Amino acid sequence: MALVSSKRTVSGGRSSSTANAFAAIEYQLMAKVLLIEDDSETAEEITAELSDRGFEVEWSANGIDGLDKARSLRPDAMIVDRLLPGMDGLTVIEALRKEQVRTPVLVLSALGAVDDRVRGLRMGGDDYLTKPFAVVELVARIEALLRRPAESRETTLRVGPLELDLIERTAKRGDRVIDLLPREFRLLEYMMQRSDQLLTRAMLLEEVWNYKFVPATNLVDVHMGRLRHKVDGPDETPMIHNVRGAGFILRAGP
Amino acid sequence: MAGSDASLLTSGRTSGHQDPMRQPQFIRSNTFRWALAVSAVFAVFVIVLFGFIYWKIDDYLTARSDRVITVELDGIAGLSPERRLEAIDEKLRQDPRGVQVAAIFAADGHRITGNLESLPPHLRIDAPAHGTDVIRRDRGAGENQTVRAIARRMRNGDVLVLGRNVDEAGEISHVVGQALALGLLPGFCLCLLAGAWLSVRAQKRVEEVNQRVQRIIAGDLRERLPYRNVDEPFSKLAVIVNGMLDEMETMIHALAGVGNDIAHDLRTPLTRARLTLERGRTNAATLEQLQAVSDKAIAGIDQSLTIITALLRLAQIENSRRSAGFGDVALHEMLREVCDIYEPIAENKNIALQVAVKHRRSVRGDQDLLIEAVANLVDNAIKFTPEGGEVNIELLQEDSETIVRVTDTGCGISEQEREAVLRRFYRSDKIRSTPGVGLGLSLVAAIVKLHGFRLAIHSGAGGRVEIVCPDSQQG
Repeated sequence: MALVSSKRTVSGGRSSSTANAFAAIEYQLMAKVLLIEDDSETAEEITAELSDRGFEVEWSANGIDGLDKARSLRPDAMIVDRLLPGMDGLTVIEALRKEQVRTPVLVLSALGAVDDRVRGLRMGGDDYLTKPFAVVELVARIEALLRRPAESRETTLRVGPLELDLIERTAKRGDRVIDLLPREFRLLEYMMQRSDQLLTRAMLLEEVWNYKFVPATNLVDVHMGRLRHKVDGPDETPMIHNVRGAGFILRAGP
Repeated sequence: MAGSDASLLTSGRTSGHQDPMRQPQFIRSNTFRWALAVSAVFAVFVIVLFGFIYWKIDDYLTARSDRVITVELDGIAGLSPERRLEAIDEKLRQDPRGVQVAAIFAADGHRITGNLESLPPHLRIDAPAHGTDVIRRDRGAGENQTVRAIARRMRNGDVLVLGRNVDEAGEISHVVGQALALGLLPGFCLCLLAGAWLSVRAQKRVEEVNQRVQRIIAGDLRERLPYRNVDEPFSKLAVIVNGMLDEMETMIHALAGVGNDIAHDLRTPLTRARLTLERGRTNAATLEQLQAVSDKAIAGIDQSLTIITALLRLAQIENSRRSAGFGDVALHEMLREVCDIYEPIAENKNIALQVAVKHRRSVRGDQDLLIEAVANLVDNAIKFTPEGGEVNIELLQEDSETIVRVTDTGCGISEQEREAVLRRFYRSDKIRSTPGVGLGLSLVAAIVKLHGFRLAIHSGAGGRVEIVCPDSQQG
């Protein structure tokens, strides 16, 4: 919630790093998101939050109506609750996928079991979020879905002065060579593919380390601390930013 | 609610109890019906037996008497006519019971001597002995009798008739019949009585069991089913059920303990969040202060949610069956990966984290869950090892098992605590100050159990925990 209020200062001065966390989405303002969720209070919160972030949100309270809207409105992304009146969330996704609709879908569910997750993703969901979730997490994931890195033949990733050679497995910041361990290379690669995006701890755990659970220790912070130590030299402008209570973001600017 | 459910159950099981119009319960019982069926079969058998015996005896007696009269007839026929008269008279005199029939009729049909009124009309002359009606003159007013008789024409034209009343056979048959009937009736009754007794006895035991079960449903978990000796099927069943009840009682007690722990562990962060919000509502003057309060409250709620998530996950793993989705998990790679992930954390704490893998081993299992289990063990080991210590992950191959061993140089687990550490929310007094929820090892234990592996916790200085995978599990 702290993030919501500070967002409004974005257009003014880019003072707080928290505010900058979502500044990146401004260029894709008015991305259309279809929310299919039967609980009206949850839906209201999500709608309010996403609208604040500059998304255009359409809400549908049941599966059948949701499927109609998905066909007619052609949204850029969808958030679908699994348990819906009328038609199950997964059935909606399956129906759309059969019609060759490739809209990215984030599945919401109170069912958090590993099997549920696997099923959700197998049925055509692109990401899976278990209730209860932090709103930041939801927004970060929607944004990630909207900006999924395209399949690229590039063998070198560049963000500002940072350069990552995927073949030689080397990293440079300007002229300075950064010596990375394989696990650090993997993390940096993932972050550079998604520069200017907020990456939550859960996303990093799932995608970089393939962890399907949240470990007791703050694994991500420790790894990120080490990476940051190597990427951001003492006299250089920091590129890896910690968004308090949410996650991390890599960007060229301050 | 629970009370009304229980009473519903009761009426369902012993439905007759409240119904005054019912048949006696034992009549409807299966045991009794079987007894009834057996009695009926028994009765039919006895009746058939009786019929057979009667038929055989009758046959035998008739044949015997036929033989006797034929021999006698031959004897008398061989005498002179005068001697025949004497022989007949003699024969009739020696027959006080009056079963003999003997007479000589002249060729014109009138009686010369004997106890027959006239020549029996249906008696075939010179034929073998056969049954016929005769009118006797020595009994009342010419009594009509059915006898086995034989007749032969003598050389002088007289007809000699000899016969024997075979009612005797009927009498014997009657006696035998009576005996069998006498046997049948008590036998039948005995069967029914035995059936009723068995049925009532079974009914009683069911009722007894029902009462005990009702007590258990009502919450008396120490109640057990009655049994007499173990060889009897009913007692065997009771012993089995008692075993199950023992297990359930232990589980329920464990759960009750867990419930208290959960309540406590959930309440603490929630209380903190509530206090924070309450104080913030009155005291916060600026937006920044309010935000700080909210952040603190959210952190408290998040901790509660973490506990709930961990519990649900634990329950989910404990309740799931071995999934068909198991695959081959390369343990050597997995251990290296876990080590890789935890290395920075260990380094931060100045702990040497090492992995020693001599063989490449694979087991059948769920990759994600096994990583979670090993990661939890390593996490624990690092957490409970003081700075400058060591944590080792080893993959060992023994005779028929593969062992993942995590050792550390921390305080270890005492003998008394070995069982306790697997309990949910258990936190050793020695580590009270370390952050954590106390569900880690329970989770590991659940995952290990799901895979059919074994978790070995060694006591003594320095922690040593092993996941033992029997070779049969290897894919």
